[in-house]
Amino acid sequence: MPLAWLAVFFVLPIAIVAGYSFDVYSLFPGPHGFTLSAWRAVAGDHVYLRLFWKSVKMSVIVSAVIVVLAYPLAYYLALSGTKRKYILLLLLIAPFLTSYLLRVLAWKVILGDQGVVNTFLFWTGLRSPDHPLSQLLYSKFAVMLVLGYIWLPFVALPIFVSLESLDRRLLEAASDLGASRLRSFWSITLPLSLPGVLAAFFFVFVPTLGEFVTPSLVGGATGYMYGNQIVDLFGTGFPDWETGSVLALFLIAVVAVLTVVFSRFLQPQQIAAD
Amino acid sequence: MDVALSKHGAWVLRAFFTLVVLFLYAPIVILLIFSFNSSEVPTFPLSGFTLHWYHEFLVNADLRDALKTSGLIAAVTSLGAVLLGVLSSIALVRRRFRGRAVVSALLLSPLVIPYVVFGISLLLLFHQLGVPRSVPTVVVGHIVISLPYTILVLVPRLQQIDATLEEAAYDLGASRLRTFRSITLPLILPAIVSAFLIAFTTSFDEYAVASFVVGPRATFPIYLYSALRFPSQLPQVIAVAVVVLVLSLTVIVAAEVGRRVVDRRVGAFDL
Repeated sequence: MPLAWLAVFFVLPIAIVAGYSFDVYSLFPGPHGFTLSAWRAVAGDHVYLRLFWKSVKMSVIVSAVIVVLAYPLAYYLALSGTKRKYILLLLLIAPFLTSYLLRVLAWKVILGDQGVVNTFLFWTGLRSPDHPLSQLLYSKFAVMLVLGYIWLPFVALPIFVSLESLDRRLLEAASDLGASRLRSFWSITLPLSLPGVLAAFFFVFVPTLGEFVTPSLVGGATGYMYGNQIVDLFGTGFPDWETGSVLALFLIAVVAVLTVVFSRFLQPQQIAAD
Repeated sequence: MDVALSKHGAWVLRAFFTLVVLFLYAPIVILLIFSFNSSEVPTFPLSGFTLHWYHEFLVNADLRDALKTSGLIAAVTSLGAVLLGVLSSIALVRRRFRGRAVVSALLLSPLVIPYVVFGISLLLLFHQLGVPRSVPTVVVGHIVISLPYTILVLVPRLQQIDATLEEAAYDLGASRLRTFRSITLPLILPAIVSAFLIAFTTSFDEYAVASFVVGPRATFPIYLYSALRFPSQLPQVIAVAVVVLVLSLTVIVAAEVGRRVVDRRVGAFDL
């Protein structure tokens, strides 16, 4: 029964998208049949490819930065021997479990031209009201900051799980053999926690790559991402379901390949460690 | 000597941890402060204390309807997702069948599908079938995306249960259903409750998929998103935000504390 449910409401819908991308189905009535024209049009159009590449770069930067930031947090929780590690972990993760949209809203309030940061600067006289820091909101920077903020607590989880399972006796042995802490870190801790690091990267990279909600709220023109393009092609203005379907399928294909590549590092409990 | 961290290093990491936690909570605190600010726009300097915005949203009928719609969708979604989740988890843990790896991958695949693509796929499906967008279409989408989370919670719990307990029940003549009701269900009940909560919160907060298949009755996230586009609504949205954020943080902490208390009792019982 669960499989039937997924077949009808998960696999079949994606098959229909594929149908649209090959023009088997069409939004407009009239004769149509299997063609590759929509795929060819996208492949020949640098706008879409460039936008995809831009989204990949943004997601890679966001994921890499927050993995690097989260690593010391997870390291502190797992290896410092603090007694309150689960309370601190909960403190770190709790924001992730609250409303996504509301956390984006908070940043909208903070970053706007008349937002908290700018009016605070005017008020304290650090900046004149005629020259607000206008790049804060509606920019690529805003999208990346907000995405980083949203995913940071989540990224710490898989890294924490891999560091927690690390056998401390390995570090003790290294220390007895005269290795410095730094040497132990590079030769033991880091390599053994690498699966957690890669899983963390994957679990952030995949959703941010297809993101459209945050960029549409704080991105403006420069923060526009691939996901927004897909939404707009299905939107009310000038719908082009064929092209939109090609872009959507391309995104799924990329995600599927990544999932296969990363699958040996992924363990479900890494994100269910509640 | 500590092999993982020097004293100095531990101090640096603790300071860094504190800074990050401050960074994570600062935006929420800022919302809290401005929810009591009397000015129409959230700007410094603060202009005075008011509860006006809280009153405003309490009497806002659209908002209340949206909250009710989301509550309904989340309740139906979590029931459906838990039901399907229990069935799939039992099949994955207790049955040996061909293609198990493929089935398990398929069941978990909604975890990695970009929601924009899934939302559009559902939109096209309902368009093709001629089904109008409404509350049930949102429920369908939400069950698909929360199903893997319920499986992730249920499978480890089922794996912990000794399968011989179930076999003993069969040997004593209990039917499959009776065995499930008397043995399996009570043992996995804590996991079912967690799965239910996860599915509920996932659905209640879900915007991306819902935005494609929502009908005339707006869900709470859909309402929020459209309210964000009208500056005049901002102050009361901030007030709602504070209520929702504080409530959800409380529930998360309470659920975690409750789970620990139960774990400790059960642990003591085992001894």
